[in-house]
Amino acid sequence: MTKAVEAEGLRKQYGELVAVEELTLSLDAGEILGVLGPNGAGKTTAIRVLTTILGPDRGTFSVAGVPHTRPAEIRRRIGVLPESAGYPDRQTGDEYLRFHARLYGHSRASAREVASALLDEVRLAERGRSLVGGYSRGMRQRLGIARALVNEPQVIFLDEPTLGLDPAGQREVLLLVRRMARERGATVLLSTHLLDEVEEVCTRVLILNRGRIAGEGTVAEVARRAAAPRSAILRVTPERASEAARVLAAAPGIEHVESTNGLPGSLTATLVRSDGNEALRALAEAGVPVLAFELEGARLSDAFLAMTEPD
Amino acid sequence: MIAEQELRDLWIGGRALLLSLAFSLLLSVLAYLVATNTALNYLEQRESVNLTLQVAIAIGALLALLVGADTISGERERGTLETLLLTPVPRTGITTGKLLGALSLWIAAFVISIPYVWFLGRGIGIVGVSLAAGLLVGTLLAVFLASLGVLVSALSASNRVSLSVSLFLLLALYAPTQFPTRAQQGWAGELLLRINPIAAGEHYVGKLVIDAHSWSRDASWLVSPIIAAAAFAVAAVVAARWVRLRGAASG
Repeated sequence: MTKAVEAEGLRKQYGELVAVEELTLSLDAGEILGVLGPNGAGKTTAIRVLTTILGPDRGTFSVAGVPHTRPAEIRRRIGVLPESAGYPDRQTGDEYLRFHARLYGHSRASAREVASALLDEVRLAERGRSLVGGYSRGMRQRLGIARALVNEPQVIFLDEPTLGLDPAGQREVLLLVRRMARERGATVLLSTHLLDEVEEVCTRVLILNRGRIAGEGTVAEVARRAAAPRSAILRVTPERASEAARVLAAAPGIEHVESTNGLPGSLTATLVRSDGNEALRALAEAGVPVLAFELEGARLSDAFLAMTEPD
Repeated sequence: MIAEQELRDLWIGGRALLLSLAFSLLLSVLAYLVATNTALNYLEQRESVNLTLQVAIAIGALLALLVGADTISGERERGTLETLLLTPVPRTGITTGKLLGALSLWIAAFVISIPYVWFLGRGIGIVGVSLAAGLLVGTLLAVFLASLGVLVSALSASNRVSLSVSLFLLLALYAPTQFPTRAQQGWAGELLLRINPIAAGEHYVGKLVIDAHSWSRDASWLVSPIIAAAAFAVAAVVAARWVRLRGAASG
């Protein structure tokens, strides 16, 4: 089956600065890939290369089965919402979408229909005849997403679509992204800073750091691979709780021990590069019976911080 | 499509209408002074027509230059260039469309100048030849300057840089027309006038309108305007291949 996006060893350099290095990725149809990374990690450059705005210095890629040597054909099959996209203030939302539909070869009548359907889809139908200059940031982003859909794209690239939006606006855009992938069967490559939403919306994540891939896989895989559990919650008999706390505090791989919300016999141990086995072993050696043991799993945000922390 | 949108932005958006209105006001004042004010109408009728035509050509071409200089750098500054580059429209198609939009300002300026030229030149049989010469030379200079503006705009990091550089180049091109008469004489002076498209074009119009020369007699003065218009139009379209999100100056 043809991959929706396939890249092999991409490199892009601006003068001395290497923005993207050895970028290799593969995306199936219908997947939503969250691209994460700190500022300057190379997310926007990677998207600009894959959308043919910038040529790669090295490596190859194909989008929707079209090799990068045919950029015009790739552009026909993709929809893009660039980071900080500008909008013509003196056009109405409807005019803006009709213009872009015409650029993709729609007739006047067809462009009108496409614009109307898309305005409806992004819930801007009532403001379609208003000037874009009067739109809020959230409305502009939704209009930008509608514009990215005028050509029924197979692959959609969204670069920071939730930037500058309030929580409600962010939620609305992310729901729209999920709906696009589900109902249109489009592959989505989404660059964002919102880790919680990525966990919720994306089928896979790719973490970039200084232009290189720091982690890739499903959210659970990346989190598991990159970051150990953060803490262990243990329950012992209340009368042996203080002894258990002493033993744990002296055990390797444990940074801090405290009572869990004041519950008798319940202790929370903060782990440092430990999977919790050291805690269990120390308690067993001290002869303290453990009634319950639970690891609090690592989250994507832990993986993100672990993979992108400065040297 | 790009040209259509450009025309819509310029004319329905109001910018071109405002510039055209200012142009017609200027032309009205000029025509009024040379035609009715007894203290100022020292010009012979043919010279009045020539002066009006020269002003129409100069300002029409200036407007085309200003609009051309705003095309690519303006899109870049407004954040709309990337969206445009992402469409399947070839980059040469984008610059060609924008060039045509910029030229519409010259066409409007010429149309506005027609009644003024007719009014000032009526009765001496020079209206037809004056308008034809104005259209020919004005179009060549407008193509040259609009293309120059688009070219500078494509390579500039910001709109301000693009407009400043374009205006500076225009002033430099007009400078030889303001040289003292002595400096315009001799082989060096004539060469300077001939290689400057603006000076050569204006000289040719003057010969047709004031001196009533035939079209062919001074046709050699059209060489530099023709070469400049063709070369810069091609350069502006070809330069589209190198249109980048950021201008040359910003890397």
